[in-house]
Amino acid sequence: MKKSSNFGAKLTISLISIMLLTPIVATLAYSLSTSWVKTILPTGLTFHWYVVLTSSPSFLPAVLRSFGVGVATVIVSMVIFLPVIFYINVYEPKLKAKMRFLTIIPFTIPGIVLVTGLVQLYANLPIPKIVVLILTLTAINLPSFYQSLNNVFMGRDFRAMFEQAQLLGESPVGAFMHVILPNIRSGVLVGMLLTFTGAFSEYVVTNIFLGGEFETLKIYMYRLMSVNGNAGSVLTIIYFGFLMIISFLLIKTVHGKKIDQRKE
Amino acid sequence: MKTKVKILFPFSLLIALVLVFPVLIMFFSSFQGTDGGIGISNYTEIFKNNYYRKAIMNSLYISLIAAVIGEILSILGAWAISRLSEKTQNTFLTLFNMAASFAGIPLAFSLIILFGNSGILKAIATASHLSFLGAFNVYSLPGLILAYTFFEVPLGIMFLFPPIKEINSDWKEASQVLGANNWFFLKKIIVPLILPNIIETFIILFANAMGTYETMYALTGNNVVSIPIVIGALTNGSLDANIPLACALSTIFAAIMMLLVALGNRLTRRSR
Repeated sequence: MKKSSNFGAKLTISLISIMLLTPIVATLAYSLSTSWVKTILPTGLTFHWYVVLTSSPSFLPAVLRSFGVGVATVIVSMVIFLPVIFYINVYEPKLKAKMRFLTIIPFTIPGIVLVTGLVQLYANLPIPKIVVLILTLTAINLPSFYQSLNNVFMGRDFRAMFEQAQLLGESPVGAFMHVILPNIRSGVLVGMLLTFTGAFSEYVVTNIFLGGEFETLKIYMYRLMSVNGNAGSVLTIIYFGFLMIISFLLIKTVHGKKIDQRKE
Repeated sequence: MKTKVKILFPFSLLIALVLVFPVLIMFFSSFQGTDGGIGISNYTEIFKNNYYRKAIMNSLYISLIAAVIGEILSILGAWAISRLSEKTQNTFLTLFNMAASFAGIPLAFSLIILFGNSGILKAIATASHLSFLGAFNVYSLPGLILAYTFFEVPLGIMFLFPPIKEINSDWKEASQVLGANNWFFLKKIIVPLILPNIIETFIILFANAMGTYETMYALTGNNVVSIPIVIGALTNGSLDANIPLACALSTIFAAIMMLLVALGNRLTRRSR
């Protein structure tokens, strides 16, 4: 009986995976086609559109802008959120129940709703919009950052480790960097990767709040959709490849963590 | 005590600057009329004008259907993943976690390449004279619901997998030892245990669909109106920009969501 239901499980998950992957496979085929208009198969295969896209003067700046936004968001998250998550978990677990409330905020106040308030509040203030954008993206990505780190403080007495390091002459920051951080490495790495991906991929707030003048990868992708479908499909595939690399790193990190725990 | 302030102050300041203050401003601005006066004219406009009413109805309709389909498929998916080996489980969960990042413009674009007016299926349909292949109109309400399924299912699985996994391993064995049959197990054990999670996940899927702007904007532009599309059109600095009206619509949105979350909390508490 167990065997047959495992077959059912494999069939179900295969069908769901095939459904989710079909448009991506179609996009990959399209990005490699010379032209595909009134034929069953494309008329020929080519890397022409990959060359066209990557040699376009808009491509690299758009990638770099998104990359910069991603890195800045990760840095702000690490500086502002990491100490808070550590403090709450180790010193005031009572506050954890309140932090859980933050995780439903993206659903009750999604980007498109938040951005109206941001426009109204900051449109005429002399604060650089890019700074407001980075801070907003940090807050939007807080739930995934928080969840990646929420479970790493269980199982060990981090409070004692932290305090003993300080008795031995470390400053609080030094104790955190030298004693705590190495022990929560994999959780921090997962949090950083998810936050980076979230900020790198953001579209709604970036586009509406900055008025589209700051062309990130997603904004460039949207422009290409109407201008050059073939080059746009290449960018979609490159973006998918980027997500696959991030997934690979996440799987490696999570799996590595499991092995670490087994060794102890 | 001092370190507590040092740690919590930057965090609170950031949350205030980019979440609390903007939401408060949004709420207060929604009472600001086009003539500069203060009142509920934006709200009466939204409920009287057919265009805005249609946006609200479309949003509710698309989100309801997308959430129902998403819920059914993610229950099946989460159950299926829970039967696989632990390593495979982690791989699938990571990939589904990433699926949310593919939502939006890349997803809409790849669906247009597959189903769109100059897409692959249309090309194959023309060449093979099998016109039914190219019959699906992706730039429509059914097209949007199809698109939403692509991120609703992975999201639902992320929320349903942990509780389903727990049931699978422990409870089934216990109930079999005690001689329960499969139907009894499903009705008396699985459903009551997991119902709160199912309700919770349904609310998250519904809320997530309600707030989806990017996928809809990329797929149907301004052709299908919904709450997010109207907010976007009123905010993006074009000629018909009207931010106080957008704020009113946003406030209505946030109010619907808070009601829903409160309702969900009540329902799940009762069944627990």
